[in-house]
Amino acid sequence: MMVAAIAWRNIRANKKRSIVTVALISLTTALLVYSSAFMDGSHNKMIQAAVEIYPGYLQITQRDFRDNPSYDNLILDTGALHRLVEKTAGVAAHGARFETFVLYAAREKAVGAMLTGIEPEPEKLLSRLHSSLVKGRYLTKDDTNALYMGVELAKRLKVDVGDTLSFIGNGADYSFAADRVEVVGLFKTGLFDFDGGATFLNKPYFDQMMASTDLATHYVVLPRQPAAVEELAAGLRQQLSRDYRAESWRQTMGGLVEAMEVDSIFGYITLGIIFIVIFFVIMIYTLLTVFSRIREIGILRAIGTTPGQVLAMLLGESMILSLLSVCLGGLIGGALAYYFYLNPMEFPSYEEQFKQYGLAVTSMPCAFEPLTILRDMAIMFLLSLLSGLYPIVKVNRYQPVEAMHHV
Amino acid sequence: MFRSTGSGLLVARIAWASLLRRRTRTVLVVLMIAMSLWGLLFMQGLYEGMYEQMIDNAIRSGSGHLTIYAKGYRLEPDIKKLITNIEEVARFLAKDQRVASVVSRINQEALAATANYSRNAKVLGVELGAEQKHGRLADYLRQGELAFGPKARGAVVGSGLAKKLKISLGHKLVLSAQATDNEVSAIALKVRGIIKTNNLAIDDGAVFIDQAKAAEFLGIGAGVTQVCVILHSEEEMVPLQQALRQKFTDLEVFRWDELYPALMQSRVMMEGFSYVTYLLVFAVAALGIFGVILVSILERIREFGIMLAIGTEFALIRKIVLFESFIIGFLGYLSGSLLGGLTLNYFRVHGLDLTAFSEGLDAFGLDAIMYSIIKPDYFVTAFLAVLLATILSVIFPLRVLKKARPIEAITKL
Repeated sequence: MMVAAIAWRNIRANKKRSIVTVALISLTTALLVYSSAFMDGSHNKMIQAAVEIYPGYLQITQRDFRDNPSYDNLILDTGALHRLVEKTAGVAAHGARFETFVLYAAREKAVGAMLTGIEPEPEKLLSRLHSSLVKGRYLTKDDTNALYMGVELAKRLKVDVGDTLSFIGNGADYSFAADRVEVVGLFKTGLFDFDGGATFLNKPYFDQMMASTDLATHYVVLPRQPAAVEELAAGLRQQLSRDYRAESWRQTMGGLVEAMEVDSIFGYITLGIIFIVIFFVIMIYTLLTVFSRIREIGILRAIGTTPGQVLAMLLGESMILSLLSVCLGGLIGGALAYYFYLNPMEFPSYEEQFKQYGLAVTSMPCAFEPLTILRDMAIMFLLSLLSGLYPIVKVNRYQPVEAMHHV
Repeated sequence: MFRSTGSGLLVARIAWASLLRRRTRTVLVVLMIAMSLWGLLFMQGLYEGMYEQMIDNAIRSGSGHLTIYAKGYRLEPDIKKLITNIEEVARFLAKDQRVASVVSRINQEALAATANYSRNAKVLGVELGAEQKHGRLADYLRQGELAFGPKARGAVVGSGLAKKLKISLGHKLVLSAQATDNEVSAIALKVRGIIKTNNLAIDDGAVFIDQAKAAEFLGIGAGVTQVCVILHSEEEMVPLQQALRQKFTDLEVFRWDELYPALMQSRVMMEGFSYVTYLLVFAVAALGIFGVILVSILERIREFGIMLAIGTEFALIRKIVLFESFIIGFLGYLSGSLLGGLTLNYFRVHGLDLTAFSEGLDAFGLDAIMYSIIKPDYFVTAFLAVLLATILSVIFPLRVLKKARPIEAITKL
């Protein structure tokens, strides 16, 4: 307790040094807290957008479908799967999809695109297809040859709501499938590739043409709690037969998750460089103040203070300063993160760039995770303690007489 | 004694001696500058290398420095909008000294199908020999060969498309596309090569086929949809674009940065990001230098007082202090540049292998092995930053010294 009191007195005696150190460490802490909140927040948002637009949080597929997405690896009994998922707890919505690729021919143009048979009602919750409607109407469960199409694809094909066009493709039995359909609605998700290459039909009608009744390529499940998706996936895996796989977005969108990790790594490298300089500056400032007090330390030793006590006193100062700064910095950084968590930053001018990478976001919120903030504060506390260590140990190596006569 | 005209050598010796007296401090400041420079140079060279690689991939495999289309093609691609005066264009470009290579292509949207799968794709009717010289396509070849084989029945396919279609060498591939008569035409091809350029537009959709074959398949009598030009130097891009626009009023000429605005944006964003980091790091470094100079001046206030009392001019003292900080800055700059330069050179030659993250890098169109670049102006920027930081951090301590009336300080204890 006495050590702490002396340390506190010394801090107050060296006001300038204390202020500079506190300012430096707290600003750095704020920078770290804010940067990680921003990186985590923007990455979560990008992943969330990518997951929610179409792929969904949880997909059930036939065991080999992801490695080899062919008609040989289809879900063969969607009815049974429907009943099984229906009675599973924690499921908000679920539905089957049958994805295939066809060539569309309009009056002037022919373009290849994805055609998917969906169940219009559950799909309203499973993806953002319904909320992305910009013209015409969404699909209903009684629709026949009504096509729901991305706006960019409509532009490429030069068709609009009310126009008809034909397509050719392969049915589930490898038969030749062709039909004429009428465009009833256009959607715009903001994901350029998706808006320029995806079309949807009501699954019952789709099944007649593609000979795919009770078959599906994907069975998509929306958990009640998106955060609990892994538990749900694990629960489903236990109930499903070995012919099926239940995977969360972490597996189905592994590339995107990894891309975000790479982005974080680059972010941390940059922060690391800034930290190196700050580490040195703190070390230099500690060195300067400790050595400006070297005579005082010599006298303390001469009157019987042990090296351990001097060490404890200096470490105590460093600890108090670090703790103070880290708390201050954590508060500032946390407040910034919280503000931008509520009011996301907008980047309208980078929309083009994000689209190119398949990211349909223009605003980037910060994440607000108290645990992450505490982690960052702990890192900075250790860093600032470490940076003061060398000067403190060095000054303690002097003999009392040497120290008193140090110039 | 010391006159203000005192030789530079003397100033240097005094400055050096005072630095040596506080060795730990000097070493720490030099280390600080060196480490921050090292980090900054490494970051800048690696990040820029990464983006230059992306741009280079896009230019070589896609647009070239300049791309020529028929009027209106870019906004609404249509194989009826052809560059028909291709020979005239080729002659004009062949005469121009600035041009390194020229290729022509026929592009059309198509559906690529195997027995099991189908995906939308892009047919690129090319002349392989010219493409090889143009974009060194062979460097991008992952499997098989760059050839269309006998009767030009072969195709070279982008790696992403090949993966989606589950095809490998020797497999059959059917392309269906709309021909000039609006009818859908189909052609069967054999996969002879697979390329990965990291230009996503190519990797995820391209099927390269022989140009004459493409013309026949799509019912094109004469002409191509795109001409790509690579120049000896990027600086010639704008003048040549102007010249082409004037000469061929029925055609449209685009620079790569107009066709890939996102890449250009990335480059600009990257540069801005580098400068902000530089500023931040050197603002902090300046604070470190400032602290050391200030303390060393305050410690020596009596020493300076004595010098002034025996007739030394303040200008000389200022010179000594400036020189001290200059020596620190310069030593830091030298060691930092050396470390940074060597590190960058290592990664320029060997590359940074990030294959562990290849799936994530693919999503951005980045190469799994990143090669850094070194530009002379990195070291110029670094020098200016160090110089600025040292000078700025000396100004305030010198004013403090002047106000402290060093001569009076002699008498104080």
